[in-house]
Amino acid sequence: MRWTLLVVVAVLALIASVVLGPAAVPLSELLRSDIVWNLRAPRALLAFLVGGSLGVAGAGLQALVRNPLADPFLLGLSGGAGLGAVLAIALHLSGPWALPIAAFVGALAALALVYRLGLIGGTGGALDPRILLLGGVAIGAFAAAITTAIVALADAAELRNAFLWLWGGLSGASWDSVLLVAVYVPIPLAVLLAASRPLDLLALGEESAGYLGADVGAVKRRVYLAASLLTAAAVAVSGVIGFVGLVVPHLARLTWGHRHRALLPAAFLGGGALLAFADTLARTVVAPRELPVGVVTALIGVPVFALLLRRWTIA
Amino acid sequence: MLRPYICGSVTGTIPGKAPAFARSQETSSFAPPVGSLAGGMVQRRLFLAFLIVAACHTSARRQDAPPARRIVSLLPSFTEILFAIGAGDRVVGRTKWCDYPPGALAVPSVGEGLPPNIEAVAARHPDLVVLYNAGPNVTAAQQLERIGIRTVLVDLNRLEDLGPATRTLGRLTGLDVRAESLAAVLDSLAHQPPPTSTPSTTLAFVVWDNPPIIIGHGSYLDQLATAAGARNVFSDITAPSAQVSLETIVARNPQWIAVLSDSGMGARPAFAKRREWRAVRAVRDGHFLVLPGSLFGRPGPRSGEAIRQLRALLSPNEEGAQHAAPLREVPHR
Amino acid sequence: MLRLDGVSYRYPGASRDALTDVSLSVGPREFHAVLGPNGSGKTTLVRIALGGLTPLVGRADVIGRSASSWPRQDLARLVGVVPQREDNLFPQRVRETVLLGRYPHLTLWGGERAEDRAAVDRALAACDAQHLADRWLWTLSGGEYQRVRVARALAQEPKLLVLDEPGMSLDLKHEMGLFELVRGLVETSGMGVLMITHDLNLAARFADSLLLLEGGRPVATGAPAEVLTQQTVEKVFSWPVAMQTIDGRPQMIPLRQPKESRA
Repeated sequence: MRWTLLVVVAVLALIASVVLGPAAVPLSELLRSDIVWNLRAPRALLAFLVGGSLGVAGAGLQALVRNPLADPFLLGLSGGAGLGAVLAIALHLSGPWALPIAAFVGALAALALVYRLGLIGGTGGALDPRILLLGGVAIGAFAAAITTAIVALADAAELRNAFLWLWGGLSGASWDSVLLVAVYVPIPLAVLLAASRPLDLLALGEESAGYLGADVGAVKRRVYLAASLLTAAAVAVSGVIGFVGLVVPHLARLTWGHRHRALLPAAFLGGGALLAFADTLARTVVAPRELPVGVVTALIGVPVFALLLRRWTIA
Repeated sequence: MLRPYICGSVTGTIPGKAPAFARSQETSSFAPPVGSLAGGMVQRRLFLAFLIVAACHTSARRQDAPPARRIVSLLPSFTEILFAIGAGDRVVGRTKWCDYPPGALAVPSVGEGLPPNIEAVAARHPDLVVLYNAGPNVTAAQQLERIGIRTVLVDLNRLEDLGPATRTLGRLTGLDVRAESLAAVLDSLAHQPPPTSTPSTTLAFVVWDNPPIIIGHGSYLDQLATAAGARNVFSDITAPSAQVSLETIVARNPQWIAVLSDSGMGARPAFAKRREWRAVRAVRDGHFLVLPGSLFGRPGPRSGEAIRQLRALLSPNEEGAQHAAPLREVPHR
Repeated sequence: MLRLDGVSYRYPGASRDALTDVSLSVGPREFHAVLGPNGSGKTTLVRIALGGLTPLVGRADVIGRSASSWPRQDLARLVGVVPQREDNLFPQRVRETVLLGRYPHLTLWGGERAEDRAAVDRALAACDAQHLADRWLWTLSGGEYQRVRVARALAQEPKLLVLDEPGMSLDLKHEMGLFELVRGLVETSGMGVLMITHDLNLAARFADSLLLLEGGRPVATGAPAEVLTQQTVEKVFSWPVAMQTIDGRPQMIPLRQPKESRA
């Protein structure tokens, strides 16, 4: 029953994304409209894929680091992506895909650094989730500082516009990017889904999880890498869109509990629906102008988060 | 408060604070012998008259301050104006962006200009610093005043600001006459009616592609378009610039996409190759206007030239040739 | 089933061995308890026995195979562990948390089957915790929570049960209940049990054999009456005691020490 509801909500969000927008497209023209097919449809799908990826990555990370406040962007990836993007602009790298590729590479570099930091006891050791968190924050801050320095020192005024990109936006959506993401995303998604049971066990603590049959070291590595790869792709394609990865898992837990076999798919559908909806709002609320979608997710996410916190303190 | 009201305004003075050197002058001239005036009506009126004359005298004396001889200009437009009114040889410092006229390049640069590098500016030993009236510059002006350097904050956002700015600079350099003739020309630019009340050519200025940022009514570029006989499809947005959805650009279907280019490479902008931008007809047809930033990016003495060139690019005579040579580029000087 | 032979271990960077030459064995229907003062190496013993640490000297085998070479999931089908501490992050109901014990038996993509739910019910019944099945974990008392954890281990349907200080912070009634429960399991299901405990008296009453450790070394091993003699206990625990016998098992009573003679 609740699954049906979730699917209906997701479908409605997608339909709304396609039907609504600042350019008035009458319903009768919908199917023939260039705007709908070439702009709104890919954008709605991209929003869904990115939002879903962030939702699942957030849920996986919260289980991995055993911290309900974990958000995919705590891993330092957004800092790395921003640095990559700014370097691409500062070095005048050309090509329509220069920015996303540079951002992705930057995110991967941050991922590698944080991963290495998180390995206690050298390269053969196990990942310590607390160090992953702290390392992520540190590397992210470091990358952000370098990025700011470059923007302050370099020539192009365009660099300041790069920060607008970083605030998150699905403006770059096209069938090309949708295809790319749709091909890339299923692999880390599948890895996370396969780790559903070990993630349930991990909630008891690493020692207990091991005694219940989880290969704790391997699970930590796989979950961290899969969640990070999903987040890196999201940032490369649409900048930093906050709150989706933090709030959607908690909302999903309210209805589906902590069993990750149900939680992860619910987080995917919920995250996708949320971002598609937020993007529709971003495009229509101040039309003809557009809000950065990261602003909308924060404006929606913060009150929802506050309500959740109240519910926790009462319980 | 009384001073400016009676003796004419000084545009752009930091509100509420008189420049340091003027303050010292007012105290020295302003010491009425109160004791001898006590009790007399006539004497009171005389005293009042004396006060008013002294006030005007003070401000007139400030206005009669020697013309600035060593000027640091912190905006490319001001540099252009100063050179245009014949004060070019007095410019001892400029921003790195000040690139016109060619003589300006010989002037030492004091850095970016926004926000200004106070020490670099002071090192030029100016007797006047001209700043664009905007947030970080107000603080910088206060800092400069504190170390005894005279500053003036001037508004320059749209065509109608050109005349007053020119006059201000003229007065400060003592070149009032030459400034006035230039100011009159610039004023007429701002107030002339557009060539046609129903422009048939539409365009949009695209400043950034992801997210798409366009120019709105509050910007000087919008005025350029109108003066050149075109309509900015986003002139309903009052802000100087704004982020819009790509589909809005598609729906409004401008005939031309104008971009400012620093390097005048002549190539189409990178976003022209992106699939989602090809939903815009002007992008598909390659109808780009590539405008050099130096000439088009700021209001200044060459604004008339900018309008003429833009009008030529959009000229109806070449309507038929529009599809033949879709990419229009103003040759980089 | 579980066998340690001459095991020695030192933690990396430590100045002395955590365990030196320790041997023990636990077979079906045997209740083996490990005793010793704080820091005597009891928890290290459990880790080695379960393959978490590899002994530097000697062997640790589970059902004839080196403990650290067992694949985790296979081992979890044979050995149920109730560790000392558990840090359950997210709120859960009792039935859900006991169900986690069935995970070693589930396939990667398969769902929970009727037999899994039946195993959970049986485990709850064995621990006398069926009435708690739908309660939230945070509403349970210490004793109830401990029983639920044992139920989870039982849901694994193990042949060997390992408990690390299970009686800590339990009141008298619940601690007795726990030991009775474990004894019952040994006798009715034929399980082997290895228990680390502080409680000498209860261990002596319920266990079949004891191992007494001091500073990582085995001091005595065998039947309770052999291991817990007054001399041994006083030496290892550095405190004067008197010994009594109840149900044929030694019980120790700590004596009060007058101020002057305290060392």
